[in-house]
Amino acid sequence: MEFNTAFFHEFSEAHAQQDGYRLARTLTPDLPTDKLRKIWRSQNAHSIRSFLKRGLQGNAAFTGGLDHEELPGWVEVYATYWNALGEILAARESSNEGKNKSSELVWTRAYEGWIDLLNALLRGYQSHKFKNWTIICLYTVCKHLRLFAMKADDERNSNNVVDDSPAANFQDDFDPETNKRQKLEDCVRQLFKAFNICQQDRAALEESRKWGSYYIANLLLKSYFKLNSASLSKNILKNLHAGGKDMPDVSAFPKSQQVTFKYHEGVLAFLEENYARAEACLTDAWNKCHKDAVRNKERILAYLIPCHLITSHTLPTEALLESYPRLQKLFLPLCRCIKRGELHKFDLALQEGEDEFVRRRIYLTLERGRDVALRNLLRKVFIARGFEEAKDGEKPVRRTRVPVAEFAAAISLGSQERIDNDEVECLLANMIYKGFMKGYISRQHSTVVLSKSGAFPGTGV
Amino acid sequence: MLPTWPAAPPPGAESSTGYATSYSAPAYTAVQVRQSFGQSYSTPQPSYPLAHTYGPSHSPSPSAVDSAGNVNSLPSTAAPEPAKTKIDWPDSVRRYVQRAFIPANLDSTVTRAEMEARLKETITQANEKGVLNTLDWDTMPLPQHMIREERARALLTLQPKQQAQAQAPTHAPGNKKRKSWDLTDGAAPGSSSATPPPWRNGPGRLEDRVSFSPDKRDEPLKQPSKLNRADKRQKRHEGEYTTYREETPPPLDGPVVGTCQTLEKRFLRLTAAPKPSQVRPPYILRQTLELLKKRWKKDQNYSYICDQFKSMRQDLTVQHVRDDFTVEVYEIHARIALEKGDLGEYNQCQTQLKALYKLGLKGKPNEFTAYRILYFIHTANRTELNNALADLTAAEKKDKAIKHALDVRSALALGNYHRFFQLYNDTPNMGAYLMDMFVGRERLAALCNICRAYKPDLPLRFITEELYFESDLEAAQFILDHDGQALLEDRGGTVLFLTGKANSLFESARTKAFSRVDIKGQI
Repeated sequence: MEFNTAFFHEFSEAHAQQDGYRLARTLTPDLPTDKLRKIWRSQNAHSIRSFLKRGLQGNAAFTGGLDHEELPGWVEVYATYWNALGEILAARESSNEGKNKSSELVWTRAYEGWIDLLNALLRGYQSHKFKNWTIICLYTVCKHLRLFAMKADDERNSNNVVDDSPAANFQDDFDPETNKRQKLEDCVRQLFKAFNICQQDRAALEESRKWGSYYIANLLLKSYFKLNSASLSKNILKNLHAGGKDMPDVSAFPKSQQVTFKYHEGVLAFLEENYARAEACLTDAWNKCHKDAVRNKERILAYLIPCHLITSHTLPTEALLESYPRLQKLFLPLCRCIKRGELHKFDLALQEGEDEFVRRRIYLTLERGRDVALRNLLRKVFIARGFEEAKDGEKPVRRTRVPVAEFAAAISLGSQERIDNDEVECLLANMIYKGFMKGYISRQHSTVVLSKSGAFPGTGV
Repeated sequence: MLPTWPAAPPPGAESSTGYATSYSAPAYTAVQVRQSFGQSYSTPQPSYPLAHTYGPSHSPSPSAVDSAGNVNSLPSTAAPEPAKTKIDWPDSVRRYVQRAFIPANLDSTVTRAEMEARLKETITQANEKGVLNTLDWDTMPLPQHMIREERARALLTLQPKQQAQAQAPTHAPGNKKRKSWDLTDGAAPGSSSATPPPWRNGPGRLEDRVSFSPDKRDEPLKQPSKLNRADKRQKRHEGEYTTYREETPPPLDGPVVGTCQTLEKRFLRLTAAPKPSQVRPPYILRQTLELLKKRWKKDQNYSYICDQFKSMRQDLTVQHVRDDFTVEVYEIHARIALEKGDLGEYNQCQTQLKALYKLGLKGKPNEFTAYRILYFIHTANRTELNNALADLTAAEKKDKAIKHALDVRSALALGNYHRFFQLYNDTPNMGAYLMDMFVGRERLAALCNICRAYKPDLPLRFITEELYFESDLEAAQFILDHDGQALLEDRGGTVLFLTGKANSLFESARTKAFSRVDIKGQI
């Protein structure tokens, strides 16, 4: 808002009531352009600091909240905020006019202006005794820092400005990709500073900035995912877990933060093939996710469904998929093939969706659904063979000796490609080894001897 | 025989006879490829007259080693007090020295080392000529002024020879000090044998050569007692005076342009910006590559070759040379490292190659993409494997080598060892060297599978064929190596493998084999 009496009044009221959200609203860049212009024109670089000092001091005198240590901190915060707004305004005007000169990276300047604001705020916590309830301000500033960083990267990439930083001159490595996400990488470094300032606060828990940790951690995780460096995300998790007893449990944080965090934690576990942990985290996120946050629920399901396929060999119901058209398109063909044991069609469906699966990093997991499809197919063979001739009065028993050739015939049914019996035996051995099938192969007789009780565990036969 | 498919063996599968012949052949089909690779070494490249630049007559530019040697031979005492003859220095000389170090007289563009060298030189000369007591030291120009004056002269003339002449009168010929002086002033025009690049020229560079920050020196000392302290501090550090200390090289503001003419160079990790005189320009490096190819073919000395390739890569990097030649260097180094099983070095090359191919440079991207996939299979790096898959284009997926690598991956993912070992037997390029790295653990995994699934026993021959051992003996040895002696039994001339009794014998070995993938330089 404009730096006038109303602003000073708002500030001192928010400060007196210790209302972090209200205070944070005075630091948002999310304002209509004409409003921005008004704020920007209401001051000049020469007098902004003395003006702010007088204003903040004068109003605080009424409410008596602001002490002399905090004051210079806030003056600096709002001065840098005002300055950053100037850059943002310039950037907006420049991109609106559409005649963005290729050499002018306006959003980079906006990003850099915003970093100054972040630094002023962090200095506030370090040397001007900002209270921990103001942490919401840090949320707002960090959130927008990431957005500006991405904007700056997009702008630079679309302008094709090559910036060969001299620091990397005699390093053995170079990577053309790094340049593409330069500002986001820088943003990660800035966020990490903020993260540490939250994490390393030793004040008593109720006054600690530790309560800001998960919010910043979530921003960091989002950035790392965007940068495609899952390995770095693990440092954040480690860092949070290392807090141990001093760190409040994640469940004590706002639900929105929990969901974001658990989702990322789950996906990381998923990528490491730790499906049990992934399932636990993702289920937690799923349960706590707001019912209207369809996009988020969809994201969670995209990993939870493949997870279930591995951990419990279960498929999503068609009704569930119905409510998420994107997921339906992604998973339904595959699920149908698995269910019906159509091995060849499964391969085709997997191939069909390969690009999208790989992009979402679920290809390698879904591929393992082939085992379930194969199990279902072999089970059909077993059932089709029917029962032994029933002895008097006893329950009929299924024929448990199945020639390998019959399984081979079933496997090549879909593709019409003959398959080597040795390879069929290999697939059968895998089924047995992985516990999909109970029994053994007799090489001598080219026969599989299946268990009389539950040849295919968990499927009722 | 198998009863169900009496017809000719299906394509892709082998009949038992064909099988027997093929399995006796070694799995290393890649060796042939390596041979052809070796041939490329021997291809003569007439455009590079090797012997020419290689003679001993060539004089290398002064290197750090030279200067260090010179410096160490200098007397290690301070200027006014030489070690050997205790001379009672006249007061006038002492005053002169003190005057030189008065802060007000100090010059920020002249380093202490330079001043000390000059002082020492002036006084020694005077002593040698026997004019020590007769010279008017109070009006003698200070060393920093002499140096400044000299520089101005050097700048004016710019011609190396003229500069040398201009400087000549002030120094005794053959004076060692002079040489280290030269090195200190290494960036001055004309001091290096080749023409310096434009950005190293001009008066602006003088400021950059300062090793002490100017403000520290210009700052006037407030108390006279400090002056004494400064003097004392100088005395305390007298030992240091004569020690030649390399100046901090000027900050890098462009790629280095190498001037080194030697073909071979040992690898040394850089801790500072490289000196042009120690960096070989691309045309020299091309000759180096030809030399190394020959050497590798002749001596097969891997530690030498690896070291040389590393220094080559370094020279390319510091000069920002990223062209087809760079790709060639990395490719050859990667292949040699692969052949020698040096995965750390291989991985460094591979990472760089990926980046280089991205620049659209020529090379064998498909061959190396295939290696890359196999490498990630070996290191069980799922995240990177995922990324590698995501990067593949449709055309790449159809490439023979890449398709092979992808098939290997999928065979392993599905536990299809039958297919895996078939693929192992038919690996394009040098992929077999990579597959050798993990074929052992996959054999263990397959054995675990087989032991659980087959009852009561199997002919050993089945294991040999299914897991592509070279002979029954090798298969038996593998089983024995993992404490399976009780599982082998000779029954009527055929050796049987008693899978029914194995229980989970190979499980722990398998777990161990899969957990131990630790490679230096791995990303």
